[in-house]
Amino acid sequence: MRDSPLFKIVWAHLTGRKRQTLVSVLGVMFGITVFIFQAGMITGLQNYFIEKTINSTPHIQISNETNASEIPIAAKAYKAKDKIWFSIRNQKDREDLGKIKNGIQIASELEKHPAVYGVSPSLTTQAIFKLGVVDVSAIIYGVNIRSENRLFNLEKDIVQGSVIRLETVNNGLILGSGLAGKLGAALNDNLTIVSPKGVTLTMKVVGIISTGLRDLDNQRAYASLRNAQKLMKVQSSYITDISIKLYDIDKAPALADEFENRFGYRAEDWKERNASIFSVFKIQNIVTYMVILSIMLVSGFGIFNILTMMIYEKMTDIAILKAIGYTDKDIRLIFLSEALLIGFAGGILGLMLGFVISFIAANIPFKIEGFVTSERLNVNFDPLFYAIAFFFGLLTTAIAGLLPARKAARVDPLRIIRSQ
Amino acid sequence: MSDKTILEARHLDKYFYEPVKFHVLKDINITVEEGEFVSIVGSSGSGKSTLLYTLSSLDTDYDGKVIIDRIALDSLDSNQLARLRNRAIGFIFQSHYLLKDFTAIGNVMLPGLKLGTLSKEDLRKAALDKMDLLGIRDQADKAINTLSGGQQQRVAIARALINNPKIIFCDEPTGNLDSKNARIVFDLLKELAHGLKQTIVMVTHDESYKTDRQIRLHDGAVIS
Repeated sequence: MRDSPLFKIVWAHLTGRKRQTLVSVLGVMFGITVFIFQAGMITGLQNYFIEKTINSTPHIQISNETNASEIPIAAKAYKAKDKIWFSIRNQKDREDLGKIKNGIQIASELEKHPAVYGVSPSLTTQAIFKLGVVDVSAIIYGVNIRSENRLFNLEKDIVQGSVIRLETVNNGLILGSGLAGKLGAALNDNLTIVSPKGVTLTMKVVGIISTGLRDLDNQRAYASLRNAQKLMKVQSSYITDISIKLYDIDKAPALADEFENRFGYRAEDWKERNASIFSVFKIQNIVTYMVILSIMLVSGFGIFNILTMMIYEKMTDIAILKAIGYTDKDIRLIFLSEALLIGFAGGILGLMLGFVISFIAANIPFKIEGFVTSERLNVNFDPLFYAIAFFFGLLTTAIAGLLPARKAARVDPLRIIRSQ
Repeated sequence: MSDKTILEARHLDKYFYEPVKFHVLKDINITVEEGEFVSIVGSSGSGKSTLLYTLSSLDTDYDGKVIIDRIALDSLDSNQLARLRNRAIGFIFQSHYLLKDFTAIGNVMLPGLKLGTLSKEDLRKAALDKMDLLGIRDQADKAINTLSGGQQQRVAIARALINNPKIIFCDEPTGNLDSKNARIVFDLLKELAHGLKQTIVMVTHDESYKTDRQIRLHDGAVIS
């Protein structure tokens, strides 16, 4: 390659105008760096969130969705011509509100499904948490702590106390870290819990958990299923939700449909439950790619400009090369190679700089308080990105080089030589 | 057409269409034999340069036939023409048209690198031989802009010679040189023609250059 006369010409052109070559290389480098850094940051954050979500929330959740705006039962008894009016608001079945009938059986049925990794039935209820003069409204998750821990690996997120004490300590309670903060509660404090049913229970803080998902940490407390049922004044078969984890998360949407049809209760997969956030992600990605695209466009124009100027400057060189036997293809190759070399050099430098900046960013302590909590930026170092960025850089430069290269190939040596 | 004919033009007609239609070359018939040193002379505007570029494959817009080395030029596409020029044709122009990005010998080697029949070392040796022949061997590794006008033109001649072409076309090769250098360059061309039997077709307005044969052009027609 180095011996080829074409390469020598390319090299001479590029080194002959060092500053311009450098500027266009830097242009591409900058584009690729931004590509790597921005895409790495955005998808890193998204992946972190998705990972947290996958770890801390069920892949599929079955619940009894109560719809209070249903047509009142009374309306079914009358017709329009009866000329009778009635007013029933928020009609509900007192006993069955939110209940999944045969929930425990459904759970053990699901446990046998080959695609299901684990099942955890739960009972969710609002409650008022009181400690001293502070009272906070939050949600109590009545769970079988062993199944719940198997599904969500709660042990890993426990910052104080332990998961198993929920079983061993009577009336134990595990608080989300944000909730504990709001209450000013510490480990082993006794809280007073008041349920909507008017039941008051004194419960002991046996653990504090921090999952990194803000909503969960600020609002959730775990209790045993039995205690939650006590608060709700219901029997031991009463549950409101079934959390399911699968072996293969990609099967969640299909299996959610299957379970919904089979058991007659609403089954939502994790993507559906987080739909609003995924649409935010989508917009984020569009904005990111727009920014990257416009930067690449600018560096592409830079290369286009420099090559076009180069062609005007080297017009007689092109003419004489053609006169001494170089073909149109050779000439095209010269200018295309120049563009690609700029793209290649800028690409490699951009990948390196992008990696360095990402690496630094990933290691600077940086507190994020969004819908996820994290100690540092979560940057995605997926090699696929680097490959795409590099390919994209080469593509841009190739496209930017194509037009000037064709123009150079079309130079008529006769016109140039005769006009001088 | 004898076996020794290297260049032949048959019923060559050419028109310029801009700004108005103009008959530049009128029914030109020429043959040049191997080893001949031919000059095309005529006053400015007589069409002599146009004739040279038409004969040398750079201008393809004409009626009639041009045959170089038994190949009719109109049967070749632009890539084939480029290859023919590379292999069989050398050019010397009024300006040297050397590439400033290359040294003197780098310029001489350019057509050879494209032809690719010699290894790089052999090609360099061949280039040095040609430069030796033209008395510029000691300038081989110098940059183009450090050479004098006469030296630059001799580098251009070496470049035209490197692939041992069948024929060399010169367009006013001494036009940009002072009279002393012009004489040196012309004597070199004559030496190439007579010593090495190199076929040369040269356009010049200076009829004092004595070549084997003069083709005189007037208003686009051969008059002698």
